[in-house]
Formats: sequence, C-alpha cells, structure tokens
Amino acid sequence: MKQHDKGAGNGNTPKPKAVEKPSSAVPQSDNLVVGGQDSSGRRRTSKYFADKEKKEVEGLPEKRKSETADLRASPAKKVNKNKNEDDEDFVLSTTKKVSADVTPSKKLKSGSGRAVAKKSEELDESGEDDIKEMKSNSKASERGRGGRTGKTAPGGRKKMVIDDESDEDEPDDKTSQSVKPGGRGRGGRGSSTASTGGRGRGSGGRGGFMNFGERKDPPHKGEKEIPEGASDCLAGFTFVISGTLDSLEREEAEDLIKRHGGRVTGSVSKKTNFLLCDEDIEGQKSRKAKELGTAFLTEDGLLDMIRKSNKSNTTKSEELKKPVDKVLPSPKKTYPSSAAKNQVGGLPSKSTVAKGSGTGITSAKTKSQATEQSLLPWTEKYRPKVPNDIVGNQSLVKQLHDWLLNWNDQFLNSGSKSKGKKQNDSGAKKAVLLSGTPGIGKTTSAKLVSQMLGFKAVEVNASDNRGKADSKIEKGIGGSTANSIQVLVTNEAISNKIDRSEHQKTVLIMDEVDGISAGDRGGVSDLIANIKTSKIPIICICNDRYSQKLKSLVNHCLLLSFRKPTKQQMAKRLLHIANAEGLQVNEIALEELAERVNGDMRMALNQLQYMSLSMSVIKYDDIRQRLQGSSKDEDISPFTAVDKLFGFNSGKLRMDERIDLSMSDPDLVPLLIQENYINYRPSSVGKDDNGLKRMSSIARAAESIADGDIFNVQIRRYRQWQLSQSSVLSSCIIPAALLHGQRETLEQGERNFNRFGGWLGKNSTMGKNYRLLEDMHVHLLASRDSYLGRSNLRLDYFTPLVKHLTEPLRVLPKDEAVEKVVEFMDSYSISQEDFDTAVELSKFKGRPTPMDGIQPAVKAALTKAYNKGSSSRVIRTADMVTLPGVKKVLRKRVAAMLEPVEESLAEDNGEPLEENENSDAEDLEDRETAEEKLQSDLADLKLKGIEVQVDLKGSGSSSAGKASSGRGRGRSRGSSDSAEKKVGGGRGSGSASKRKR
Amino acid sequence: MLWVDKYRPKTLDRVIVHEEVAQNLKKLAAEQDCPHLLFHGPSGSGKKTLIMALLREMFGPSADKVKVENQTWKVDAGTRNIDVELTTLASSHHVEMNPADAGFQDRYVVQEVIKEMAKNRPIDTKGKKGFKVLVLNEVDKLSREAQHSLRRTMEKYSASCHLILCCNSSSKVTEAVRSRCLNVRISAPTDNEIVKVLEFIGKKEGLNLPAGFALRLAEKSNRSLRRAILLFETCRVQQYPFSSNQAIPAMDWEEYVMEIASDIMKEQSPKRLFQVRGKLYELLTNCIPAEIILKRLLYELLKKLDSELKHEVSYWAAYYEHRMRLGQKSIFHLEAFVAKFMSIYKGFLIATFG
Repeated sequence: MKQHDKGAGNGNTPKPKAVEKPSSAVPQSDNLVVGGQDSSGRRRTSKYFADKEKKEVEGLPEKRKSETADLRASPAKKVNKNKNEDDEDFVLSTTKKVSADVTPSKKLKSGSGRAVAKKSEELDESGEDDIKEMKSNSKASERGRGGRTGKTAPGGRKKMVIDDESDEDEPDDKTSQSVKPGGRGRGGRGSSTASTGGRGRGSGGRGGFMNFGERKDPPHKGEKEIPEGASDCLAGFTFVISGTLDSLEREEAEDLIKRHGGRVTGSVSKKTNFLLCDEDIEGQKSRKAKELGTAFLTEDGLLDMIRKSNKSNTTKSEELKKPVDKVLPSPKKTYPSSAAKNQVGGLPSKSTVAKGSGTGITSAKTKSQATEQSLLPWTEKYRPKVPNDIVGNQSLVKQLHDWLLNWNDQFLNSGSKSKGKKQNDSGAKKAVLLSGTPGIGKTTSAKLVSQMLGFKAVEVNASDNRGKADSKIEKGIGGSTANSIQVLVTNEAISNKIDRSEHQKTVLIMDEVDGISAGDRGGVSDLIANIKTSKIPIICICNDRYSQKLKSLVNHCLLLSFRKPTKQQMAKRLLHIANAEGLQVNEIALEELAERVNGDMRMALNQLQYMSLSMSVIKYDDIRQRLQGSSKDEDISPFTAVDKLFGFNSGKLRMDERIDLSMSDPDLVPLLIQENYINYRPSSVGKDDNGLKRMSSIARAAESIADGDIFNVQIRRYRQWQLSQSSVLSSCIIPAALLHGQRETLEQGERNFNRFGGWLGKNSTMGKNYRLLEDMHVHLLASRDSYLGRSNLRLDYFTPLVKHLTEPLRVLPKDEAVEKVVEFMDSYSISQEDFDTAVELSKFKGRPTPMDGIQPAVKAALTKAYNKGSSSRVIRTADMVTLPGVKKVLRKRVAAMLEPVEESLAEDNGEPLEENENSDAEDLEDRETAEEKLQSDLADLKLKGIEVQVDLKGSGSSSAGKASSGRGRGRSRGSSDSAEKKVGGGRGSGSASKRKR
Repeated sequence: MLWVDKYRPKTLDRVIVHEEVAQNLKKLAAEQDCPHLLFHGPSGSGKKTLIMALLREMFGPSADKVKVENQTWKVDAGTRNIDVELTTLASSHHVEMNPADAGFQDRYVVQEVIKEMAKNRPIDTKGKKGFKVLVLNEVDKLSREAQHSLRRTMEKYSASCHLILCCNSSSKVTEAVRSRCLNVRISAPTDNEIVKVLEFIGKKEGLNLPAGFALRLAEKSNRSLRRAILLFETCRVQQYPFSSNQAIPAMDWEEYVMEIASDIMKEQSPKRLFQVRGKLYELLTNCIPAEIILKRLLYELLKKLDSELKHEVSYWAAYYEHRMRLGQKSIFHLEAFVAKFMSIYKGFLIATFG
C-alpha cells in the first residue's frame, strides 16, 4: 500500500510539466487526490527531481497512471457527487494551482503559494548541501524522512537519539531502505513531536475555545462525505487550521486530522507542514505561512489525502512488490517528496514492511541476548545504574547528591555542641524527604546517590515493623527494626567511628514513610527523634508530602519534590530500552505509553515487557488498546470534565468514560453543566434553520438537569447513594449528549470559556438575603403590630414599605422628610440596617433602584436623625448596638425586648432577666399612658441617655458577653432610673436569651 | 404605621370580613375543650388576624404581650447533634413559630422542640386556663416526615397543648393531620367585602374614596385584603385626591415577572433563555419564593397566549412546580419550565406562521 502511495507520489512529482497543460478532464481527480498539499510539495520536489534524478522519474509515469486511474475510479466520483456548484469554483482554483503557471494574479492564494514554494525550493537546495541549516519549513517531511533513515536504517545501532542531525545518512543497503518506510512516519513525527508535541496537544485540545471571535458556519456544513482513511495516514504532518472551512467545522477537521494521526497546532511555525484553509483571509496565519513557505491545503485536499490512504489500503497487497523494485536502486535523496507522499498514505503498511525486513535482523540479534537475562523484570534490569540515567528530576538528584556529600562535614565534623544551632541553618536539615508519585524514581535515586558517594544504604520500608522503639532492653537489638534503627542511628561505632576513611559510611533510607503509622505506633515521632540524634544521614521517601501524618516530619527534613518526567523524556528512555530488547516500537507509541501511565516509569516498563511477550512490533494502536482500561486515574478538573463532555467528540465517548468524567466531581460538574449547557450549539442536531431543534434539545436537557436535582435530593436527604449513577446520568450525561458541540457566546464580550456554576454564588446571596429579611421580620414582629409571615413581608409589604421609607425623602423638604421617615421606622422598629435591607432587596437588575433620586445629603441627614433618636427607642434589639470595633458578635442572639414599657418602669430594678418572664396582665390603656410618660421622661433625660449609650459601647466592645452587659448596667446605674432601665432592658434580653441556651 | 396594621381588628367582635367565622370562634373560645385548629385559606384573607384575635379572646390582653426570640436548640439526631435555630414569638400563653424555616431539618423541630413545648404544662399563676397554645405557621411547607411526626404529638399532649395550624393550602397537609384538627376555611374576601373594608378605612382616615376606584383596587388586589389595603395606602401616598382611573402600581416583583414574561414571548432563543435565567436568579436572591414566581409567570404568560396553547402550558407549569417541590434547586426547575415553554411556543409560532 505504501508502495502504491509512493508510486503516486512519484508519479506526480515529475508531473509539473505534464500537468501544466491544464487538462480539464483529469485535473479534477488529480486535484482531488493530492489537493493543495501536492501543489507545493510536488512543485518543490519537481525541481529537485529534475536536477538530480531525472532518470528515476522517467521510469515512473506508467505506474502513476495506473494509480490515478485507480483513484479516479471511486473517490473522484464520490466527491464529484458531493460537490455542488459552488464547489466547482473552488475546485477550479485549486486545479489551477496544481497546473503550475496558469494565473498567479487571479487567485491570490495560489499565486502566492507558488511563489513561496519556489522560494523554499531554493532554500532547500542550498540546505541540501549544508546539512545543519536544513530548517526550512517546507522541507519538514523530507527532513523527517532523512532523519529517520539516520535513525532506523542502521538497524543494529542500539543507542539512538530521537532528534537526529544526521540528515545526510545515505541508506546504502537494501535493508535500510526497506526499513525506511517503516521508520519514516516515525522520524517525521519524531522531529516534529520533540518540539511541537506538547504545544500541539495543548492547543489542539483547547482549540475549541481558544478562538474568541464568532466564527461563521461552514457554508456547506455536513454536505460532504467524510472519508474513512487509514488510521495513521496523516502521521507526521502538522496542520494549522485557519478561517472557515468549506464543509467541516473546525473541531470536526481537527478531529479528522487527529484521528488519522496528524497533529493540529494553533499557530504556524517552522514545523507546520500544512495550513488548512479554504479561503485566504489574509490573517496572521496565512501571512506567516507564506513567510515560512508552508504548504496550503484545502479541505478537499485533506479529504482526498485521507481517502487516498484508504484506497491504497485495498490495493495494498498487489502493490507491495512494486515499490521494492522501484526503491531499491534509488539513493534516498532522490525521494524527498515520495517520502512525504508515503506518509500520507503509506503508513499502515510500514509496519508490515518493517516486520518483513527490519526486525528480521534486529530482533533476531537481540532476542538471543534478551533470553539470556530475561529472568529479571525489566524494571530491575534497566534500573538506572548511574544517577545520570534517571529520567527527569536531574536537578533534584543533584541536590540530593550535594546534601549527602556535605552531610558529614555539616553535622559530624563540626563540634557536637553547635549541632543544635546548625540545625536551624537554612540549608542544613539532617534528613531529606523525597516525595512524588509512584514510579518516578525516588527510591532509585536515593540508592544510586548513596551508592555513588560510597554510602552503604540501609533500607527500611513498609515491610518492616517501624513502630516506636521498645525501651525494654530485653528484646534486644534484633527485637524490632525500630530498635535496630535506633542503634544504627545513634551508634557511632557502627556508622563512622571506626576509621571513617576506610569503613563504609551508612545512610538510612526510610521508604514509604507515609504508610508508617498504620501498624506502627509512634513511628513518625520516633523517626523525628532519631533524626535529631542521628549520626548518619536519613533519607525519607513518601508519596504524598501533604499527608496529615507527615506534618510534623516535614519540619525536620529538606524537602525535595520529584516531578513526573515529561513524556518525551520517558519516551526517550523507553525507546532505548525497547531497542535493547529488540522491540520495534515507534516513538509516538512510546509517547502515548508515557502519557497513559501518567509519568510512572515503572508501570510503563511493565507494560512494555508484557507486550513484548506477545509481539515484537508495537504500534500506536496496540498501546492505545492495551492501556485503555488500565490507564491510571488522573485528576481532572471539573472544567476539563465539562469540556470533554460537551466536546465535539463527546459523542464517541463510551458510557463509562462519561460517567468517570461526571463523577470526577459529582457536585461541581452538574453545576458547571447547568451553567453552560445553553451555550452549546448541538452538533447532533444537524441542519436547524430556525433553532427550533436546538431549543427543544435545550428543553429536554433542562428537564434532565432538573431530574438530576430531584435525584440529588433523594441522595442527600434520604441517603440513597445507589442513585448516584442515575443522578450523574441525568444531570450531566444526558444534557451533554443532547447538546455537545461548539460553544458560542451569548453575551457581548463574554469569553468563550465555560463559566463557573452560578448557582453557588446566587444561593449564598439568597441565603444572606433571607437572613437579613428574617432580621427585619423579627423587628417588625417585635413592633407587635403585624403578625405577617416572612414571605408575605417580602411579597406584599415590601413595595409600600419601601415607598414609605424612600418616597418622602425624594419629594418632601429635607427635615420634614427625615422626621417622617424616622417616625415610620420607629413605628415598625425598623433599624438602619433593615432600611438598607429593604432597599437592597427591592433592587432588580435593569430597573431603577428605590434610592435613585435621593440626595446624599438627605441620606446622611436620615442616618444622623436615626442615630440621634436611637437612644430613645423603647424596643431595642441587641444587635442594634453596633459596636465600632466588634462586628456583629451578637448577630445571632437577636432578641427583641417586648415588655410593655410601664412594666419596666414599675418593676425593673436592674433585673432585666426577670422582666422577660414577667407575665402580669396589663391593660392597653395603661400602657399607652405609660408610654407617653416615658416619652416626656426621655425628653428630659436625653443628654444622659446619650451618655449611657456611650458607656454601653465601651463595655460592649471589650467583650460581648454577660460580663459586659453586667458592667454596662453597673455603670449606667449612676444615671437616671429610666435610662438605666432602658439599658438594662436592651442588654438584659440579649443575655437572657444567651443564658437560656 | 401602615393602615393594614393600624386597622387590623384586635378582637373577634371587630372583625368585618369573616364575621360568621369570628362568632363561631368566639363560642369555641368560651368552651374549655377547644380542639386543634387548622386555618387554611389564601394569603391576605385574614387567617393570622383571626388567630390573634382568637388568642386574645382566650387569654385576654396578656396574649398580646409577646417577645420575639431567636432560639437555638440542640437536637440529638442519633449520630450527630444538630443545632436548630428558630425565631419564636411567645407570650406566656402561647408560642408561635414557623417550623418550616428549619428547612430540611424541620423534622427535628417537630420531633424535639414542639414535643418539648407540648409536654410542659404551662405554669399559669392565675390558673385561668390549663393549656397553652402552639401556633404553627406554614404547615403546608413542612416536609412529609415532619407532618408525620406531628400527628402523634397532637394526640398525646392534646390535654396540655392546643395546636393552631395555619397554612395556605390544606391539600399539602397530610390527611392524618387534617383529620385531627377542626378545619377552618378562611376564604378570600370577595370584592364587595374588600370594598367595604376600604370604605371603612377611608372613612376613618377621612378620605374621599370614589366607589369605582375602591372596586378597581379590590380587583387589582386579586382578592387579597392585605394587598388591597396596602395598595390603597400606596395610592394615597402617590396622589391624594383620588380619581377613579388612577393608575394602581403593581408590586415591584410582579412588574419584574411581567418583564420576564414579555421577554419570553418576544424571543425564544438560547440567548434569551440565558437572560431569563439571570432575571430569575435576581428574583430568587431577592427572596421571592420560587413557587410564587412560577405561578405568576404562568399567569402572565397565559394572558398573552393563544388559547390552544394554554392547556399545554398550564400542564407543564404544574408538572414543573411539582418537581420543584421534590427538588431543591428551584432555579433548575424554573429554567426547565422556561425552556419547555420556549420550545413549545417556538414550535407553535413556526407551525402557524411558517
């Protein structure tokens, strides 16, 4: 199959001349087959060919013909059918492009594209000679291939570097040549992965919402048939998508490319092979692409690339033989473009070829080696022998090394008396704590470093009993490990007194310290004690540094947190091992493996070894398949989970994957979904002119979310946890399944990211407002004139109430208004805070607030008037006494004093507690007269009243308790009777309610 | 002071609207063995007023002397201790509370707090009455469990403690509780009755109230006496010499719901749904109960709707209201209703007008 492709490539390459005559019948298919990509690639290479390998080229046309015929047979037809008239235009333009020099001026795209292509050609030529300079973008594919040859062709070579500079390695024998195709994809990919890999993936995943602006719908959305291609026919290519495509949404295109092994990055760089765009919008991307000479590819071109690969799949077997003849005689350099072509379609076959010849030699050789020592698991066999072998975290290893190196100088050689002091030094901890996830080489590095420095490592791990050292001597040293540790640690005789220079120094490695306290009582504290007295260095190793158990230990240790190695680092090492074991693995596969195991080198090796038992060639797909289930759990944030659920491809997720995603945070994910589901334009709906289908999808989703709420109540209130799956299903999965697609913004200026669920915030605001309302409600009840419920207060009373409170301020002259409002407030014992509450709760977004149009001066006057009158208020609540320093300590202890005034006049003698229980019947008339009396009293005593208020404040701020109320009362006793009673009353009720509890 | 409160009848004799009920209650209070009572009826019909007047009838003026307290009870709920906080309004003869405020912990309020109160016989110095009264508001908001635990309490301590339950809808009170009470239905006052009350107030205030205007107020109030009086007073503040075609202002939240309704009718799109969600949130955070919002929204929507859709839309409103009671996050259900409506209405529009 690959051969077939190569044939195609070759066939086309010489073509510029042939195609230049704008043939109207053929161009279509031609164009379909290779599209824009070819236009530049072919041209580029054509020159090349012409210069260097005409002979070769000339031999090929025949083959090409057969192939094109082949191709024309079905895909062309199909595409033709799919295309409507609008497309024809477009097709023509591409054809023109293909057919060399027709009209550069007409179509800007084609014209410039060509120009660039030419430029790059020249570059290439010069680059060809100067190997190191070979960085021109257009050559990526070629370089890739060259690189690979360097890598794989010398099959026997064990140590291979990923990014090779050996571009000019000439494949000199048959085997290397045939291996090449297999490696080609790998190499091409390798070169681009190394640098763009991370970025590509990052931006690829986010691509959906990296674009802030609204993008238009593709003009022919969903009208083209999307071909099924070979799974890695695009491997090694890096694409950048720009602008609106003809029929595919950008996400669809991205997915398509990824599915076929290509890479999608966000911006054009030197590594980019193709810029996928259908209309040249003269954006940054296309400009950059032209600068760099990146090939332009149309959507049809892309589809054709994929289709072609599939085509070749079917014809693979017959074609298998051909390419060999063809390839054999030709030195590698003659095939720069055919390499590229190969990658397009030929990859599926590469493995077979590789198996056929490449592994034949290499594996045969290595297998014999492998069997000799295959008794050991690979994890042991390839455990790093020197610190430099450790994958990643080199700086930490270095730190550990330095620490260990200086340990003796720091803690032993200095006078023993200054030891205590030393420990406080910043750099000098007596122990070190290595932390990090499993399998990233903590133990290994500890051992290696100590080994390298000539320490004898004593390892104590979870398999040993590490409880508190037994103080009883009778058990002896051997009694428990803890005892021996203690001896080991404290006994200088063992460690270093005996001739330090000769005797081996010792280091204690405490492995898995976070598991220490399960059965080991007092283990950690004992360890700390040991660290303090230790005369040997101690290395502690744990997984979770933030574990509660280790909190005390952390203070005594130098902390070194190991990070997961990057997948490139891991892949490099894995490749090394795989080669040593004679395993044929390409690097993409290894990277995938590294990613799947989530940085766990040990697991990666175990997997690799397991797979090596059944196969000698491991492909990307194998790894995908194997690790699908066994991939480690990883933490995903709710946002990522929601992204994935709503993502363009979420339709392809399996049910358990969806459940896993939703379950990653069963509280937050539903809230995020609820907040954002409206924003998605469902891709499953298809054509939806008036948005009706979308609307009904939304309605269904909303209902399902509401179902989720009901489930949630059942779960939380009645502890029906078995329903959690159903809950997740209805609150996350169904809405996501209905609406997944492209996210769009609903408001101007909104960022196209998922918002955080608004419910939490709104709910807490609502709670706060209900509390405020309740306060006000209590005050109103306390006025004894209304018995209304809380909801009625809000629903019915609020509007007139607010009107009464604010209207006078707006219309009446200042003094009169203030007086009126204060009077009204007093009649309902509404406090200043309640006033604010009322105003706050009457505000609705988008409507005038009740305080509009009120002069600030009037407001100030109101506050002033209210405060002035506050001393004379009969009905007081404890929390009305706002203290300058203390904030609302008394908030919850609201208790309104409601005893009729005359009662207190008559009976209250500083015994406010009694007052509350007082239940003597009094007549209303009596009370009224008494009130009047009090008012006049108060008028006289206003000054004193204010004094009392001040007193209260002072005592209140000192502490809000009984004592303060007592003191307040005590002090105020000096003032007049009525004043005392007031204070006592207000305070008393507060403390009374407190005491009750 | 607002007129609603100023002219609230303090005794059963002065009651204007439900005179007959008031007289029966008076007889009831005169007898020693007053049964448990369940007052039910729409808001603004005078339940609370009657209850307070009844209490006064029973205990005399000392029933008016109440104190408001925010109490916290520690409830031992098997595995853990729960703090329940409630506001009570208590005189020496009666305690009034709203157990539904405790939310999903209302069961414990009923089981522990109310039982505790019911158990203790009142220490009545005067020895007039051998029982005390517990007034429970919003019984219909109590959860099913709480209502179940209530019924045993009602029987066991009926000698020392009489319950007066008050709710809007008796259908949300379980059968068992209902059958243990004397049900007193307080119907909403008719327009004429409201007009009568308004005229009474107008006379007392010395206002000239045109008859047509009083009727309009009554109509506008939706047969809620409280609202009618409040509206009356608001109008008085707005413009005194009343004219019979004077504009009657709506409640602030009603206006807002109206706005939402017209938003929904104007456009049915995800964007609009999103805006509506924001407005619903605004209502909810301003302490408007979700059921009221839904009801009002339906009311406003029905006003503008074609008759053939009315039935379907009402069905869905009921459906979502039911689910809202089952659930907890009311916004989800409100939004679901709005989305449903939008999809129905949009489909209808497209089907009719293409």
